[in-house]
Amino acid sequence: MATSNNTESSRSETDGQMRPGLWHVVNERYPGSMIRKDDAVELVPLAKPISECRVSFVSTSGVQPRGTMPFDTVHPVGDYTFRRVPSSSHPDDLEIHQLKYITSGANRDLNCVFPIQRLQELAAEGIVGGLTENFYTFIGYNMAPELLEATLAENIAEAVVESERADVVVLAPA
Amino acid sequence: MKPPRAMFVPFMMGHQFGPPFHSAVQKRILQEMLNLLTTVNESPTIYDMPITWAEVRTEARAIERQLGLTT
Repeated sequence: MATSNNTESSRSETDGQMRPGLWHVVNERYPGSMIRKDDAVELVPLAKPISECRVSFVSTSGVQPRGTMPFDTVHPVGDYTFRRVPSSSHPDDLEIHQLKYITSGANRDLNCVFPIQRLQELAAEGIVGGLTENFYTFIGYNMAPELLEATLAENIAEAVVESERADVVVLAPA
Repeated sequence: MKPPRAMFVPFMMGHQFGPPFHSAVQKRILQEMLNLLTTVNESPTIYDMPITWAEVRTEARAIERQLGLTT
């Protein structure tokens, strides 16, 4: 549970940074590769109990259904496409196309990066109201942030909100 | 991105929901994220989950032994 000791607001950019100055170095070597964002998304209170909410999941894990077009993991600028992953999928139906994180754990149990079975359980137990028909994935290596924001992020947001009618979206890096 | 509610989990890349086969931790992380929907009153808020890799990895090894995945 969140407590005052464990909850922080307005945390500065460098608090807790394991490598101070890292962002400066990245911006210097790869100008324009990072977007600085000072304004946070406005807090919108839940309109109904979580047990009545339709939950979606968006992940940078590069998890995709077997047989779909693999993400381009070696393109120098990145891959700005996304994949729909049916929320009813079994992990055996899915595979990972991603080079930028350690997949040793996920290759044994996909749930440690893409917890699809745990989300299915939360829905079956009534802890959440249900799941959107699809979850959404892409790869995190994208070196043109303006393009990412204008295309990939907008396309996923539109799909999750308008097509899937999600009440809650869990975003997870990989 | 500056989402209104965020949670930091001190695990390595590729293991944001915990070690393999530790279903309880995987679900606990999701549930704590969902809890933020009702406990957070200010945007942005970052919640540091009070958990360590050492403790969950030890538990996961025991789970793997129980499942017969390791000796």
